[in-house]
Amino acid sequence: MKRAIVSLILVLALALVGCAGGAKNDTIKVGWFGALTGDQAVWGENEFNTVKMLFEEYNTAGGIEVGGKKYKLEVIGYDNKGDAQEAVNVVKRLTGQDKVVAILGPNASGNAIPIAPVLEQAKVPGIATVATNPKVTVLDGKVKPYNFRVCFIDPYQGAVAAGYAFDKLGAKKAAILYDVSDDYSQGLREFFKTNFIAKGGEIVADESFNGGDVDFRPQLSKIKAANPDIIFMPYFFKEVALSANQARELGLTQVMMGGDGWPSDQLISMGGAAVEGSYFVNHLDYADPAVQDYKARYKAKFGKETELNGYLVHDAVLVLVAALQKAGKANGEAIAKALEGIEVQGITGTIKISPETHNPEGKDAAIIKIVGGQYVFQEKYAAQ
Amino acid sequence: MAQFLQQLINGLSIGSVYALMAVGYSLVYSIMNFSNFAHGGVIMLGAYFGFFALTILKFPFVPSFLVATLGTTALAILVERIAYKPLRERKAPFLYFIISAMGASILLENIVIATIGPTFRTYPQIFDRSPITWGPLAIGRLDLLMFFISAFCLIALILFIEKTRIGKAIQAAAYNIKACALMGVNTDRIILIVFGLGGFLAGVAGVFFGMKYTVYPQIGNITTKSFIAAVFGGLGSLPGAVLGSVILGTLETLVAGYLSSQYRDLIAFVILIGVLIFRPSGIMGRSMEDKA
Repeated sequence: MKRAIVSLILVLALALVGCAGGAKNDTIKVGWFGALTGDQAVWGENEFNTVKMLFEEYNTAGGIEVGGKKYKLEVIGYDNKGDAQEAVNVVKRLTGQDKVVAILGPNASGNAIPIAPVLEQAKVPGIATVATNPKVTVLDGKVKPYNFRVCFIDPYQGAVAAGYAFDKLGAKKAAILYDVSDDYSQGLREFFKTNFIAKGGEIVADESFNGGDVDFRPQLSKIKAANPDIIFMPYFFKEVALSANQARELGLTQVMMGGDGWPSDQLISMGGAAVEGSYFVNHLDYADPAVQDYKARYKAKFGKETELNGYLVHDAVLVLVAALQKAGKANGEAIAKALEGIEVQGITGTIKISPETHNPEGKDAAIIKIVGGQYVFQEKYAAQ
Repeated sequence: MAQFLQQLINGLSIGSVYALMAVGYSLVYSIMNFSNFAHGGVIMLGAYFGFFALTILKFPFVPSFLVATLGTTALAILVERIAYKPLRERKAPFLYFIISAMGASILLENIVIATIGPTFRTYPQIFDRSPITWGPLAIGRLDLLMFFISAFCLIALILFIEKTRIGKAIQAAAYNIKACALMGVNTDRIILIVFGLGGFLAGVAGVFFGMKYTVYPQIGNITTKSFIAAVFGGLGSLPGAVLGSVILGTLETLVAGYLSSQYRDLIAFVILIGVLIFRPSGIMGRSMEDKA
């Protein structure tokens, strides 16, 4: 509470300073919210810092030009403690009291989904950072008019994996093993399957297990008999390591592939030689040349490394600035309209917001290969 | 054909894990007439004992194995003394024993979560991961070792019960513990020995389970399957527990391999229920006589 009062006073003070300077008309106010306390505080702080740093850089360079006039950018940030109810409250405050023109964040799908009605009522667009659940922007087949995001959605990884396996690794026959009790795994499997078949490939085995299972040999023996070129394993690292070990024990030598559930120190220590030479899909690679500049600037300013969230909020800022310039005026409704179909070259890939889904369709994913117990970046790749 | 044989090997290997766990249930049931659900917790701690002996104490495999099995032997006896003995002395109904057993199981799991932590851990690699192949068939070295050690332990146990004086006393206690006490047998000691043996087997099962899969506080849940296998084979009968486990393991593997892995548990358990409808005491269970 104390913190909230302090931040309220600070905001009021800033507003007063703004009024006193008479500079209010050439400042665009942008909202941000996320967790600054609690489990996810590391990510929230990282996002907020990145937004502040980028706005400062724009302002030092003289601001951004919108509709033929130079504007400075100002961020108003609130802590929602990672709580869904609090997310609704802070969005109400940002739109009703602070009159921001757009909101950056949040990072979590669980916080991004409940704010949709508030954004719609206030006609203020929100750009989520790492919220990957499909329901953040599309519900029951209908796109939410004021919700956008800069990260790809879970099922998209399946499509990326299928394209890479077929086109780059030359696999013609694929086998799938997936966790039937998990939405994430099912989504990846479904999209891998349809895309692999659409490319002309064949799914020779489609096997499942239940969450909590530790023995996968019956399914793996079936996969072995089907003799695939590649095995797609879209689930989390513990099961990946167990099933990979068992696959090698059964004499399966095929290349394995997975999604962003893979990267973990445990995968290497448990999977060892079994996962060597495998590929997986991730949002970006920290060693990718495109992200080095931002990474260095962040470290220089804040004295610590940025997290995954920072890269995505960085691109959310780029998208917002581009939308402001395209709209030609600092108005929520106009920005929302401008966001649809916008195309921006971000550090995490090319972001092209689809008017139908408000997702960055066809965004590059990073393909990572496990070589010598290390995660080695291969290339950026988008599903065709 | 090759795939069928491979699935049969998989089934036997999964069945031998179940068997090691199931025998512990059957052994205690034969004497005490209740299901010792704390057995799963003891198996879980066996996996942790072995893990810490290997990683923190940096013992080689055989001493670590001994640390784990002796540790679980002591633990099983401790559970008996704390959770069951007071009930026995008060001649409490069997329902109380079962509740006490569930309590002990939940307690062990949560002690581990609170002290060691809820995350899973991985055994260091001790045996070569490369399989032994024979034509198109492959079998893991660890599976083979596990199969032989399970078989050795079970045969040794059965010989112990059939051939020794203590074994005779266990058989007598299983037949009728009150009459046995009247004949001058120290039944309290017999119960202690039975729990000790069950604990030892739990240690063996725990170490192998940990090596084959991973170590985490909920390992005990997997013993649900072995408990069902024990019931299927005939609770209280050791050969029945082994047979029930092997049948369950093979059945699961064949259903997953030839029908669908999603129907694995469904079909396996429908068959088990069917068997129990026609033979309520299980395949080898005889209602009262000759349980051990």
